[in-house]
Amino acid sequence: MPSNAKNSLLVVVRHSPYGSSVARSSLEVALAAAAFEQPVGLLFVGDGVLQLIPDQEPSGIGVRNIAKLIQSLPLYDIETLYADEQALQRYGLDPQTLPQQLLPLNTAAIQALFSNYDHILSF
Amino acid sequence: MIYSLLVLSPPHSGQGASTAVQFARAAISRGHSIHRVFFLDQGTYNACAAQVTPQDESDTLQQWVDLAQESNVELVLCIASALQRGLIDSTEARRYDKQAATIHPAFVISGLGQLVDASAASERMITFGC
Amino acid sequence: MILHTLNRAPDSAAFRDCLRFLTADDALLLLGDGIYAALKDSSSSEELAVTGASLYVLEADASAAGIVNLLGNDVTLVDFAKFVELTEHFPRQQAWH
Repeated sequence: MPSNAKNSLLVVVRHSPYGSSVARSSLEVALAAAAFEQPVGLLFVGDGVLQLIPDQEPSGIGVRNIAKLIQSLPLYDIETLYADEQALQRYGLDPQTLPQQLLPLNTAAIQALFSNYDHILSF
Repeated sequence: MIYSLLVLSPPHSGQGASTAVQFARAAISRGHSIHRVFFLDQGTYNACAAQVTPQDESDTLQQWVDLAQESNVELVLCIASALQRGLIDSTEARRYDKQAATIHPAFVISGLGQLVDASAASERMITFGC
Repeated sequence: MILHTLNRAPDSAAFRDCLRFLTADDALLLLGDGIYAALKDSSSSEELAVTGASLYVLEADASAAGIVNLLGNDVTLVDFAKFVELTEHFPRQQAWH
């Protein structure tokens, strides 16, 4: 039997949106956790921040739009998206142009975040 | 302790899948229980029933099947990942008008809710990546 | 108190990301191609040493690669039982892959 029916879950995303199918799977895990009312955090690290670029238009490559999926996260009560500040800087991404529920975190803050959740699922 | 595993690694490409099944066996040997192994993304290939492993290599599929049968471990495939890859059971084969099931019956196909449930029910979640 | 696992070679983005988040309270278990990060006198092993994290290498993978005798002294070889023991000790795992 579950010792804690509300284990919180941190989903760590570190792959670009269309380089593999892992990016989409990781977001769907976060959505499923929210749908089942598990406390869930979503952290974009390294290349994962590339998923946050807003004007994605993947109809030409025949796959679903990751940016749209990210925009829909607040509807499912995933209110805060954490992003790796250093990776945003490395790719020249200005947080002002990214989804507004985004919270950029420095390395120390991300290290602390890892310990705030019962489980980490890393993609 | 109660463990669940998330397997993203396909078999026969790197050591990820083989490492995962050996980890599961070692955990059971140390007195833990494996509540569920959830296969997502390329990890769903582990269930492909038609794998023919060279005789001098270890048969990861058989190791998963043994784990399920001997230790009562649930092996669950993410339905979205599995269907895309042609990994279907007889129910899905009928539903999508395909000739036959392609996964080993030791595995079941279900939704991501089973991964979320596993994380709620387990004290440890261990991920095996590509 | 995080158990990090890494199964990508030291030139990978996975290694770079992992390196940034390791702390002295953490452990890093190298497996798959991750084992090469622990090669004695390599730049990756020097970078890992700076973090202060405890370093472990999965013996089966190191043996397969022929590097058991090429690892630094600060590295502990582990079998699967010891891998499980690490997960008993560390409540959370972050997999870099």
